[in-house]
Amino acid sequence: MFDNDFIALLPEMFLINATILLLIYGVVYSTVHKVFEPLVRNVAWLGFSSILITLILLRGSPLTTANLCYNNLIIDNFTYFFKVGLLLSTACIILMSLQYFQQEALTAFESIVLMLMSTCSMLLMISAYDLIAMYLAIELQSLSFYVIAASKRNSEFSTEAGLKYFILGAFSSGILLFGCSMIYGFTGVTNLEELAKIFTAPYVLRPLSDSVMLNSADASWSGVFMGILFIAVGFLFKITAVPFHMWAPDVYEGSPTYVTAFFSIAPKIAIFANMLRVFIYSFYDPTWQQLFVFCSIASMVLGAFAALSQNKVKRLLAYSSIGHVGYLLIGFSCGTIEGIQSLLIGLFIYVLMTINIFAIVLALRKNRFKYISDLGALAKTNPILAITISITMFSYAGIPPLAGFCSKFYLFFAALGCGAYLLAFIGILTSVISCFYYIRFVKIMYFDTPKTWILYKPMDREKSILLGITLLGITFFFLNPSPLFLVTHQMALSLCI
Amino acid sequence: LPKRQSGVTFRKACELAFKRSIPPFFEPLGAKPFFLKNKEYVSMLQNINPFYSSLSLSALILFPLLGGLFVSFITESKIRTIRIVGLCTSFITFLYSLFFWLEFDNSTPKFQFVETIQWLPYSNINFVLGLDGISLFFVILTTFLVPICLLVGWSSIQKSKKEYIIAFLVLESLMIAVFCMLDLLLFYVFFESVLIPMFIIIGVWGSRQRKIQAAYQFFLYTLFGSLFMLLAILLIFFQTGTTDLQILLTTEFSERRQILLWIAFFASFAVKVPMVPVHIWLPEAHVEAPTAGSVILAGILLKLGTYGFLRFSIPMFPEATLYFTPFIYTLSVIAIIYTSLTTIRQIDLKKIIAYSSVAHMNFVTIGMFSLNMQGIEGSILLMLSHGLVSSALFLCVGALYDRHKTRLVRYYGGLAQTMPIFSVIFLFFTLANMSLPGTSSFIGEFLILVGAFQRNTLIATLAALGMILGAAYSLWLYNRVVFGNFQPNFINKFSDLNRREVFIFLPFILGVIWMGVYPEVFLESMHTSVSNLIQHGKFY
Repeated sequence: MFDNDFIALLPEMFLINATILLLIYGVVYSTVHKVFEPLVRNVAWLGFSSILITLILLRGSPLTTANLCYNNLIIDNFTYFFKVGLLLSTACIILMSLQYFQQEALTAFESIVLMLMSTCSMLLMISAYDLIAMYLAIELQSLSFYVIAASKRNSEFSTEAGLKYFILGAFSSGILLFGCSMIYGFTGVTNLEELAKIFTAPYVLRPLSDSVMLNSADASWSGVFMGILFIAVGFLFKITAVPFHMWAPDVYEGSPTYVTAFFSIAPKIAIFANMLRVFIYSFYDPTWQQLFVFCSIASMVLGAFAALSQNKVKRLLAYSSIGHVGYLLIGFSCGTIEGIQSLLIGLFIYVLMTINIFAIVLALRKNRFKYISDLGALAKTNPILAITISITMFSYAGIPPLAGFCSKFYLFFAALGCGAYLLAFIGILTSVISCFYYIRFVKIMYFDTPKTWILYKPMDREKSILLGITLLGITFFFLNPSPLFLVTHQMALSLCI
Repeated sequence: LPKRQSGVTFRKACELAFKRSIPPFFEPLGAKPFFLKNKEYVSMLQNINPFYSSLSLSALILFPLLGGLFVSFITESKIRTIRIVGLCTSFITFLYSLFFWLEFDNSTPKFQFVETIQWLPYSNINFVLGLDGISLFFVILTTFLVPICLLVGWSSIQKSKKEYIIAFLVLESLMIAVFCMLDLLLFYVFFESVLIPMFIIIGVWGSRQRKIQAAYQFFLYTLFGSLFMLLAILLIFFQTGTTDLQILLTTEFSERRQILLWIAFFASFAVKVPMVPVHIWLPEAHVEAPTAGSVILAGILLKLGTYGFLRFSIPMFPEATLYFTPFIYTLSVIAIIYTSLTTIRQIDLKKIIAYSSVAHMNFVTIGMFSLNMQGIEGSILLMLSHGLVSSALFLCVGALYDRHKTRLVRYYGGLAQTMPIFSVIFLFFTLANMSLPGTSSFIGEFLILVGAFQRNTLIATLAALGMILGAAYSLWLYNRVVFGNFQPNFINKFSDLNRREVFIFLPFILGVIWMGVYPEVFLESMHTSVSNLIQHGKFY
């Protein structure tokens, strides 16, 4: 039995070992030589290649479906594709941050190690099948995040971001753990499969279930419900859904830009995977749906209105990501197979667009690219980049035929399919409003006469390749969307059946 | 019928040439390869030679796009080459689209040249392209206007010349796709994606600082309306499991559902027409857009709304259409009278033409919702005619603006002395705009009034009032601009139209007269489709 576990967990184990080796390498190298700058790049390239190797190991794994480590972890199609997505996006972020280290003269090779560490924990998070395993994975990921948020030691903003993230994040982790313990206290199990049995028992498996019977009149039911509520709050905090979003703009703005990119992509993938597993698979029940409906509406509305008055790019992107989380939660709160599928499609496209826009934000630097108005002369100085930004922004706004439209169309379709007309209606209204700030980028670049002429340094090859690939993906996704639809359908099926 | 015959002979000639040239290449022994079945062989031949059996709509859509792609690889400094390539591309597209007219079979109401390309086979959404008597002329109008737009910008566009050509070519293929698309969801996709190039055209090549507001208004008004249509389309998709129009036409929705869906579609199309409460974006966008942008806006984008009514709302929701007919009549009559009166007191040349466009387009909606042969055919004809006349009027204004750098009427006067050729052409189109008999607008408006009179005499009377007001503002505008005292404000040099501009106007004049004198050429292609539409909705 344990042999199979080794085989199935080989990618994760490789990544953990590689991370530790990289840490040792970095420590040894930095004490032997006093030249730090190439070390960061060196570690980054090594980290990049170890992620690629993990990907190959994942691809070559002979097991496709298994429950591992005494049912604490699971692998199936759902986790496989999520892991691939996570590893690819982490690789992209490492690629785009290479030049940043050089330009900022940032010496902290630890941040790459921490990124790899959090990637490991996110891999475990995706395949977590037990509340304890889930909590441990989330905790490791969060701890790494607090440190890399504050990794730019000479910047007040970065320190502030790290501190804010730490205090609020620890608080939310506490709530999450409290929720888990309540569930354990009232049902006696932590395994998700057992929980699924308990939750479906009153409806389906009444004679078969041998564990605790739950019904809504029971006293223990309200305890379990509170537990679910706490877990939901913990998760919603981590994905920056609205009533729990307060930390996001500050943390996104304060952290170094590549860390912001990492924060707005990788944890979203992992936590959505985990949330789907926990809520759709084990706590399948209509009671929590209203909570997510509310959060979805609130996120969409706040994402649309709060971003209207933002002048700083990273803050605007933070609010835009809050809005997109709202759209993704539409799919989540449907709870149907179409809903899950639409969430996965939306997530994929969101990641594609976010990688693109953050690569641009990282590429545009002379001294800074902080305010949107700094883009003023870009259409004259760098027309191709300007076109890239406008296409990405139109895609964010959901204008067909770009990729962003496909995600919105399917999300609204799922919402209509399960009768959530209010969600679809508000989604429509907010996407018109949010259009306003997305096309402001286009307006500033093309229509306004620029006040300042900023000449940006040319970007490096890695970023330009990345930009090219994501731009092609966004523009021509429309021509052949069916592979993604098939893959996500497979994932949704393997989660639900 | 000489028209059909010429098409057939051309096709035969092509086939003959093809059979003589290509087969030896594939068939060294003079017979088809043994491993291919006959059907496969034919489809292979079709792939090699588009003339072999039928014309390809997807080629028509792709051609301008490929031209645009090709142009984007030429450096900006070779601007003359870029312009010639762009012009040739759009001109060849125009010629190619004429072949669809030649090959068009008037005797069937079915969709012709139908092509199906798989897009999301799993969700049952596919590219379905096809033309019928309703959409045929809009495609030709589109391909006709784009080369004109490129010619207009030949020397007056000073910045981002290459992007100008690319924007118009991309816009062209998107617009052709809208008119050919027989899939509801993909219709929406192309209907919306027209926004992006148009937004950029208004914003980048517009004239004043107010253009930003205009571009925003254009974008957000249209988006706001059409997102409701998206919801309706998704609802239809959810209910029926398909978005293929040909299947949906055989579906009957319950009356309540029809009303709901009709309202959602109306929200989108009414903005595009534009109907009265949501027409504000149009004068703004027209005034701020460059001349060619106005031409496309008036010539084609406004027709998207009325085309949508005709293609989707009326046949798919016939009961809701009857239910809402009085509503449309009321809105349209209000729009006709209100905008005609507004036009009289405008002082900006482009705004005058923009408001008169609103009046004419609301004439079209009255004709369309009279739901009989005369009304609907008249409305299609008036759309085509308006596409020619108002585009030509915008070109006239553009010609004046290039010379005088103002659009305010009070700075003009006595142009008859300095610009005689222009005055004649402007007179012709002014008369066409007020629908003088012998011009295309007359046929359209006459048919519409005939159709509307059968439904509702009061509406027909009030709409006819709009024609009188139209004559008032058109003639008064002409009077103020061309006659009167000569006003040499700050300008020392005067020039009449040059050869390029006269050649631009020439096809418009020919088209207007042709449509006005012998409209049967156009109407005969519509008869079957329109009567099928009426039969289908049981409107008789």
